[in-house]
Amino acid sequence: MSVADGTTARGIGASVLRREDARHLDGRGEFVPDIRLPGIRDVAFLRSPHAHARIKSIRVPPGMKGRIFTAADLPRIQPIRVVTQAAGAKSPPWPPLATDKVRYVGEAIAVCVAPTRGDAEDLANNIQVEYEVLDAAVDAPQVWRGSRHLVHESWGDNLYLERVIEGGDIEAAARAAEITVTREYRMNRQSGAPMEGRAVLAYRDHRLDEVVVYASTQTPHTVRVALGEILGIEQRRIRVVAPDVGGGFGPKARLYPEEVILAALALELDHPVRWIEDRSENLLTCAHTRDHHYKVTAYADRQGKVLGVDCEIIVDAGAYGLWPQGPYQEANMAGRTLPGPYTIANYRARTYTVATNKTPLGPYRGVGRPGACFAIERTIDEVARAVGRDPAEVRIENMIRSEQMPFASVAGMRYDTGDYPASVKLCAELLDMPRVRARQKQGEADGRLIGIGFASFTEQTAHGAAEFASRGASIIPGFESCTARILPDGSLVLHVGIQSHGQGLETTLSQIACQELGIDPSHISVRHGDTESTAFGFGTFASRSMVMSGGAVARASRMLRDKLCRIGAHLLQCDPADVRCEGGAVHGPQGSVTIGEIANVAHLRMDGLPPGVDPLLDMTATYEPQISTGVFSYATHGAVVAVDAETGFIELLDFAVAEDCGTMVNPMIVEGQIRGGVAQGIGTALYEEIPYDAQGQPLAVTFADYLMPGAAELPAIKIGHMHTPASATEYGMKGMGEGGAVAPPAAIANAVRDALAALGAEVNETPLTPARVLAAIQKAKAAAA
Amino acid sequence: MSAIRYRLNGADLSEDVAPRLSLADLLRERHNLTATHLGCEHGVCGACTVLVDGMPARACLMLAVTCDDRQIHSLEGLRDDPIIAALRDSFHRRHAVQCGFCTPGMLISARDLIQRGRAGSEAEIRQGLAGNLCRCTGYTNIVSAIAEAAKTMAAQGAAQGKGS
Repeated sequence: MSVADGTTARGIGASVLRREDARHLDGRGEFVPDIRLPGIRDVAFLRSPHAHARIKSIRVPPGMKGRIFTAADLPRIQPIRVVTQAAGAKSPPWPPLATDKVRYVGEAIAVCVAPTRGDAEDLANNIQVEYEVLDAAVDAPQVWRGSRHLVHESWGDNLYLERVIEGGDIEAAARAAEITVTREYRMNRQSGAPMEGRAVLAYRDHRLDEVVVYASTQTPHTVRVALGEILGIEQRRIRVVAPDVGGGFGPKARLYPEEVILAALALELDHPVRWIEDRSENLLTCAHTRDHHYKVTAYADRQGKVLGVDCEIIVDAGAYGLWPQGPYQEANMAGRTLPGPYTIANYRARTYTVATNKTPLGPYRGVGRPGACFAIERTIDEVARAVGRDPAEVRIENMIRSEQMPFASVAGMRYDTGDYPASVKLCAELLDMPRVRARQKQGEADGRLIGIGFASFTEQTAHGAAEFASRGASIIPGFESCTARILPDGSLVLHVGIQSHGQGLETTLSQIACQELGIDPSHISVRHGDTESTAFGFGTFASRSMVMSGGAVARASRMLRDKLCRIGAHLLQCDPADVRCEGGAVHGPQGSVTIGEIANVAHLRMDGLPPGVDPLLDMTATYEPQISTGVFSYATHGAVVAVDAETGFIELLDFAVAEDCGTMVNPMIVEGQIRGGVAQGIGTALYEEIPYDAQGQPLAVTFADYLMPGAAELPAIKIGHMHTPASATEYGMKGMGEGGAVAPPAAIANAVRDALAALGAEVNETPLTPARVLAAIQKAKAAAA
Repeated sequence: MSAIRYRLNGADLSEDVAPRLSLADLLRERHNLTATHLGCEHGVCGACTVLVDGMPARACLMLAVTCDDRQIHSLEGLRDDPIIAALRDSFHRRHAVQCGFCTPGMLISARDLIQRGRAGSEAEIRQGLAGNLCRCTGYTNIVSAIAEAAKTMAAQGAAQGKGS
C-alpha cells in the first residue's frame, strides 16, 4: 500500500504531537526510582578498586546475615554466559558477584541491603577484601597476542574473536594502484551516559507466585529469558517491567549482573529491594562503547577512484561479554560497514576483538558504525587530497549510484534503495558551501581557520533473522509482535513487545493503527515494556522498533479490520466485499456502522455476529521485513568549523544532515531523533572519553571529568530530507534511530583537516580535544621544518 | 537529627532530618515528590533543579538541614505557574521532550531564564541552559520552545510570572 492511498490526517506522515509528553511535563513520569513500595530497602554494591586482582579473602563483619551477601550467600545464581556459534569465538563465564578474581574496576563483589542507600554504602565500607593485585591488560593493540597479562588465564591470549571479512582481490587492487594512502585512526572509549542511570527494583509477589523485576531496560522480554536461565526458575514465575526509562541508547539493551542479583535477593528476602545506579557507577560499570583502533590502506587511481581498501580493526572489548550478543558485534559491524556507501570492489578487514581489564563494551547508538565511518570517511578525504581534488567530488564519484540498487557490498551487505550522491549535494547546499569557501579564502579577523567537511554513511536498520544468524548469534531478534485489542466501547489497545524510552512509539504506533483502522490516536493506548501484558518481543534497539513493531501493528490492525468488515457487513446486511473500513466506521453501499457498535456486538451482543464468526476483536500478529538482512537508511553530514591554531579550540559554526530514511511515519519525531543523535555524535567527536591509566584505573567517572555536550556547545542542526521508500517493509519505512550519531566525528574531523590544510595537520583520534589538535599542528610543523 | 521548619510547595512543614539527608532525598523519599530527578548527584546535570527561595538550586547538593527557614518549590508546586504553563505548551508543540528525565529540571531553569528576562535570543538561552544536560534532544527544540514561551509571556505582559 502506498502512503498516498490511505493517508489520514493523523496517520502515517503526520507530525502528530506526542502523547508521552503530558506526564513528563507535569513531573508525573514513572521511572524505576519513582516507584514506591512499603518496606522497600536500598541496595549498594561493594565494587573492585582494582583492574585485575585475585580475591584472597572476603571478610564480612559478624551478624550481617540478610544484610550483606557475597557470591557464596546466593548459590542459586549461575554465571552469565553468552552462547555464540561464531567460529573460534571465546565466551568467558561471568559470575554476577565475583568469586576468585576481579577483572575490571567496578566489578561487583558483594551486595548490601539497608533502609537507605547511605546505610547500605556504610555496610559495604565495612567489608574487608584481601586482594593479590595483578598486572592489568590495558592497551588492546599491545596485549591481544601472547601477553603476559591474561584477562582469562585459560585462553592463552586475550582474544575473544579474530575474523577476516573480505571480498574481491585486495592484492590485485594493490598492484593496480597509482595512489596508496595509509592512516591510523582511533575512536576512544566512552559511555552512552543516558540521563537516568540503570535501576532495578525487585520483589516477590506471593499471590501470583512470581518475582517482579522493574528495570530501566530496553529489553524486558529477553531480560526475563536470561533471569530464568541464570536463576534456574521458570519464566512464568518472572515478570519484568520497564516503566519510563530515562534514555537507553543501547547500553540498556543488555543484561547486567545487578538485574540478576536483585532478582535473587528478592527471592531470598521478605521485602522489596531496589538499586539505583549513581552516576559514578554508571560511568564505571554500565557498558562502555567505541574504543576502536584502525589501520587503513586505500588503493586508488590518479582520479581518486578507490580500487580497494585493506584494514586492520582492533576493538578493545573489556573484561566480559554482555548477554545476549557478547563482545563480537562491534568488530563485525565495523568490518562490514567500513566500505560505506562506495563501490569499493576489493576489500579485506582483519578484525580482532580483544579482552582487557576494563568495563565490558556494549552497544551504543551506531554500534561499530561511527568508528568505521570515521575510518573510511577520513580516508576518502585523504585520497582526494593525495590526488589534489575536492573531497566532496571524490566522495560522489566513488559512491554507489541509485541505478545500481540493490547493491551487494564487498563486505556482504545488501543496500536496498537510495540515491547516495544526492545526499552529498543536498548537504553541501544546506551549508551553502560556496559561501563557506569564500569566507575561508577571505580569512577571519581573529585569525581562526575555517574548514568544511563531509561524511556519508549507510545505516543497516531493522535487520532480522538472516543478519543475526550470519553473526552466529544464539538469540536472534528477528521479529516483533503486536496484540491489537478493541474493547467493547470501540477504543483500541496495542500491546507491543518493544520498549519506548524517548522514541515516541506510544504516538507513532497509534498512528499506524490509525492508518489501518481510521481510529484516531486519541482513542488508542499503547502498552509496552511489560512481559505480563505483551506477547514476546525483543525490545527497542538496532533502529528496529518503528519498522518491526510498526509492521506488527499494521498486520494486527489489518486482521482486526477484516473481522470488523465481516461483522459490519453482516450488520449492514451486505456483502463483505462491498464494505470498507474508514474513519472509525465500516461503510456499506447503504449506510455505515461505527467500530464502537461493531465492538459492542463482538463482546456484549454476540447474537448479532454473523454465522461462523467468533466473538472478541483481539488479534496477535508478528512481523519481520521480507528481507531480513536489513533496510538501509543513509545520510551525509556536513560540518563547518573554526579552529584556533594557537589554542587548538574548535568551534562548530554549522552542522547539516541530508538524510533518507524512506517513508517517515512522524517527521517531527524523525527530526528529533536525528538532532539527538547528532548531539551524541558531536560528543564523541569533541568531548567524551574515558581514558584509563596504565594500571587500568578509569580516569573519568563523574560528569566533572566526563564532558557531555550542553546547549551552549551545540549549533542548531539543519536537516534536509530525501524520500526513497524501502521495498521490503510496510509503507516503505526504514529505521533511523541511530544514524545521527554515526557521522559527526568523521564530518568534524574532515572539517578540521580542511581548516588545517595549509599547515598539513590532521587529527585522527576522537575526541578532537584542544590538546590533540595542538599536538597535530606541532607534529605537522616539525615535519615541515 | 535536626529539626527544620520550611515551606514546601506552599505548605509550612517542620520535621526532623538526618544530617546527611539531601534535599533531593527529602523531597523524593519522604514527600514522594518524584518530579525532582537525580541524574548525577554531584551538581552537574541539573535534573534535580528546584527553587530555593525563588532561585534555582541543585537539590542533590543541598542538605535538608540547610533548608531551615527556606521556601522550596519543586515542579509539583509550580503546576499552576503561568510561565511553567507556557513552557509545558511550547515544549509539547515543539517536541522538546524525548525520554522526559531532564524535563522537570529544564522547565525550572527555563522558567528562571524567562522570569529574569534572560531568554531573549538563542545564544542567551543556550548559555542559560549550560547547567542542564539533555542526552536525547540535541537541545534545538528545547531552545526554540523556551524562546516561544518567552514571547508568549511577553505578549501576555506577564513576564514577571508568579513570585516565590
